[in-house]
Amino acid sequence: MSDELDAVLAGVALPAAPPMCDELERELGALAPVRARNPRRDLALVIGASLAYAGAFLAILRLRRDLDGLPMGWLAAYAAAWFAGFASLAWLAIVPPRGQMMPRWRAAGIGAVIASILFIAGGILLHQEAPNSVYYGWDKFHRGHWCLEIGLATAIVPATLGAIVLRGVLPVGSRWAAAALGAAGGSLGGLVLHLHCPIADGVHLGIVHGGVVLVSAVLAAAIAPRAKMSP
Amino acid sequence: MSAEVITLMERYVDGDAAAFRAIYALLAPKLRGYLAKMTRDRAVADDLLQQTFLKVHRARTAWVRGSDPTPWIYAIAHRTFLDEARRVQRAVVSVGKGEELPEVKAELGGAAEGATETAPDPELTKAALAALEALPPQQREAVVLTKLDGKSIAEAAAIAGTTPGAMKVRAHRGYVALRKALGSPEASTASADEGGES
Repeated sequence: MSDELDAVLAGVALPAAPPMCDELERELGALAPVRARNPRRDLALVIGASLAYAGAFLAILRLRRDLDGLPMGWLAAYAAAWFAGFASLAWLAIVPPRGQMMPRWRAAGIGAVIASILFIAGGILLHQEAPNSVYYGWDKFHRGHWCLEIGLATAIVPATLGAIVLRGVLPVGSRWAAAALGAAGGSLGGLVLHLHCPIADGVHLGIVHGGVVLVSAVLAAAIAPRAKMSP
Repeated sequence: MSAEVITLMERYVDGDAAAFRAIYALLAPKLRGYLAKMTRDRAVADDLLQQTFLKVHRARTAWVRGSDPTPWIYAIAHRTFLDEARRVQRAVVSVGKGEELPEVKAELGGAAEGATETAPDPELTKAALAALEALPPQQREAVVLTKLDGKSIAEAAAIAGTTPGAMKVRAHRGYVALRKALGSPEASTASADEGGES
């Protein structure tokens, strides 16, 4: 029965396709050459423009005042982690596997979830303080909202640029890819905060700085349908 | 076919309208078959087919040189079908697990005008297609993509926006249900082993 059923299914006659509709014919009549998407160039554009924006933003905000008192290894490693989160999530969301058109949106979405968890947990568990750092803790936790705003303001550029370069690319999985772009932007926001914010307690670092990744991922996923990432 | 489609796509983005027509000629019959089996309405399938190719045309800058656009075009057809299903407010709509798509008019869209039937047994073909029509949408899509359109599990999963594992399960369950509907004794054993339905 299986072989017979296979033969039946494989042999089902294809319906004849109807002619193209008038609207399509009209648009084809005015066909002009277009530039195909180049994902690696798009990624370079998103990363380059976002870093330039974040650098300018940081120059306005100024570096954290407790920079000299912090362990240089921790400072560099944490900055590298933020940057790696930004670059790897952007890469997953924008660059498809060789020979394919659609990026790895599922891996990108999972990456956004993992990055959110890691940066929140990392902030809580791996914080370092200098003598002139600021301590908020739970008592003044609500006063740290400014950092969330800075982080989200930084995240806007990579998330928006990413959505622009992915226009029409993802008929499926656009929300996941958008979440990854948001998380990538949030990671860049975390990097800016890491170099700017002198508040050094674990609650602030984890929930506010790490939370930027989660909040921007959720916002980006919610806004994705308006970004026309799906054709 | 994939190399041919890639070559045609190269010419198409470079401004050759004839290349697009050739892509249409290559892919439209299969896409129409897919859409007809998903919608169970030939007129709706034809409309969705045109919408799909309009979207392909308008989003052609999304193509990456050297890549096969076929899974992307199928995924656009899949999305267009889901959007249409949501628009039609006849029943609960679902994209995820356990949800249902609206039931449109019960008619088999696979039979072609002027097409030659190549199946070995016309009665079995008729019964198989009727059973296919009765499958839940996700299983039907899985069987259509993997058995009728000859897509690999990975390709079908990419088109439907799911994991290869989930697509494999859907295709298997759909196939088992088809065999059961056609009275195969081995299907009863398989479905008993299978446990619950998705």
